[in-house]
Amino acid sequence: MTILKVEQVSRTFPARHGNAPTRALEPTDLTIGNNDFVTILGPSGCGKSTLLRIVAGLDRPTSGRVTLDGREVTGPGADRGMVFQSYTLFPWLTVRENIAFGLRERGVSEAERNKIADAFIRQVGLSGFENHWPKQLSGGMQQRTAIARALANDPKILLLDEPFGALDNQTRALMQEMLLAIWERDQKTVLFVTHDIEEAIFLGSRVIVMSARPGRIKAEINVDLPHPRSYKIKTTPEFVQLKERLVEEIRTEALKVAEHA
Amino acid sequence: MRPLDPVTSKQRLAYGLAFFVVFVALWSWATFGGHVSKVFLANPLTMVQEGVDLITKQGFLYDIGMTIWRVVGGFVLAAIIAVPLGLLMGAYKPVEAFLEPFVSFARYLPASAFIPLLILWAGIGELQKLLVIFIGSVFQVILMVAVTVGATRRDLVEAAYTLGASDRGIIRRVLLPSSAPEIAEILRLVLGWAWTYVIVAELIGSSSGIGHMITDSQALLNTGQIIFGIIVIGLIGLLSDFMFKAFNAWLFPWRLA
Ligand SMILES: Nc1ncnc2c1ncn2[C@@H]1O[C@H](COP(=O)(O)OP(=O)(O)O)[C@@H](O)[C@H]1O
Ligand SMILES: [Mg+2]
Repeated sequence: MTILKVEQVSRTFPARHGNAPTRALEPTDLTIGNNDFVTILGPSGCGKSTLLRIVAGLDRPTSGRVTLDGREVTGPGADRGMVFQSYTLFPWLTVRENIAFGLRERGVSEAERNKIADAFIRQVGLSGFENHWPKQLSGGMQQRTAIARALANDPKILLLDEPFGALDNQTRALMQEMLLAIWERDQKTVLFVTHDIEEAIFLGSRVIVMSARPGRIKAEINVDLPHPRSYKIKTTPEFVQLKERLVEEIRTEALKVAEHA
Repeated sequence: MRPLDPVTSKQRLAYGLAFFVVFVALWSWATFGGHVSKVFLANPLTMVQEGVDLITKQGFLYDIGMTIWRVVGGFVLAAIIAVPLGLLMGAYKPVEAFLEPFVSFARYLPASAFIPLLILWAGIGELQKLLVIFIGSVFQVILMVAVTVGATRRDLVEAAYTLGASDRGIIRRVLLPSSAPEIAEILRLVLGWAWTYVIVAELIGSSSGIGHMITDSQALLNTGQIIFGIIVIGLIGLLSDFMFKAFNAWLFPWRLA
């Protein structure tokens, strides 16, 4: 059982160069249960990354706390895998070595490492690219490797920060299906950040809508679409209805940002 | 010719060779044409004859060997100390804060100015020569390595942390490999500078080496030998640079992929 609890977590970035301090995140509560797939949806600059980085332990909250299975998060660790929006594969390691990075850090033997890495390489459809350098991969392939790298560590929860944000539409749709297929089969606890409404609905069992600056949770919507989901679901009336509802929520937020800008 | 237009590798070679043709032509014109006195500048032919004489009759190969050994010895000594220290400075800000002011200051101390002092301390033996190279290189390498390591992509470090890397793991498996190509480039650059220090060290109080030969030739007004010595230094520098480059490319295939 995995339970992630975010309790009254807020983050204010201190003032710099005479600018006022930035309140990136208002006190926020969030609970994610075992094998949940939660998507966080919000306009850019609303504090999504800030929240995710605090959960990952890469940033400290100004107030409040994050616990994973009752233990307070005080820093980054292998129990919370992270996939970043930017390409963060280690350029000096091959695809296989990248995926095995966490295993090697834990002292897993090379034979065992390669076995696990190769299984994930198959799962994300990169067979034949085991010995390629990241430079030789397309953006989509790099992100698939990054997902495999996080999964190979068998984290309790997988954190993804707009991992497909820089990809073209076709690639992004394929990546969404791949990620969902992995989740449907392996049942992982996932927290996925995005600003793409369709992506949030298609992937999530629950969509959390965040409001614009200062960021806070504005609405929470359950997505009761059946699994396994394929891209075809995006044109069903249920999907379209959910989408319309979320468009409305996001639009009011985006308008607020525009007014204050 | 248009700005930033590339040239083919054949053209590049041709242009490179053309320079030397023009250079030797001008040199020949000045010397054979009698525009410059023999006392000040030997002509190309004399230079080659003196060179052959140096190598076959005066044991110049031994001098070359001595010089190479001094450069490499002093340089390796400097690298062994400087690379780990630079890595520590780049990785740990308190270490950097502690050492940076001194290293930045020491970097501007001219190695050649230490020669008289080093002769007092270490005599005129090999140790003194190595120390000149060492002093000339070590601070440069420390500082440049520290800057390179400090500039490691933060997102890679963060990714490694979320994969469970320890602080040791961050240094050994992220900071070091990500900076390694830059460090190799730094070493290549500083090796080039070490060549200039060694010659200066050999000009003063030395009984062997290319620099020693050059001082001897000066006393005899043998400009042919001097020029030959200088050209040999240039050629060895070029060769070592080329080998270093090839070695780096072989060592870091992921950069070229
Ligand atoms: N390290 C930082 N220092 C100062 N301000 C920051 C920092 N990181 C983020 N911010 C600010 O916090 C707000 C939320 O940022 P972020 O969490 O990255 O938004 P999102 O991921 O939703 O686009 C933004 O206004 C951003 O400028
Ligand atoms: Mg973000």
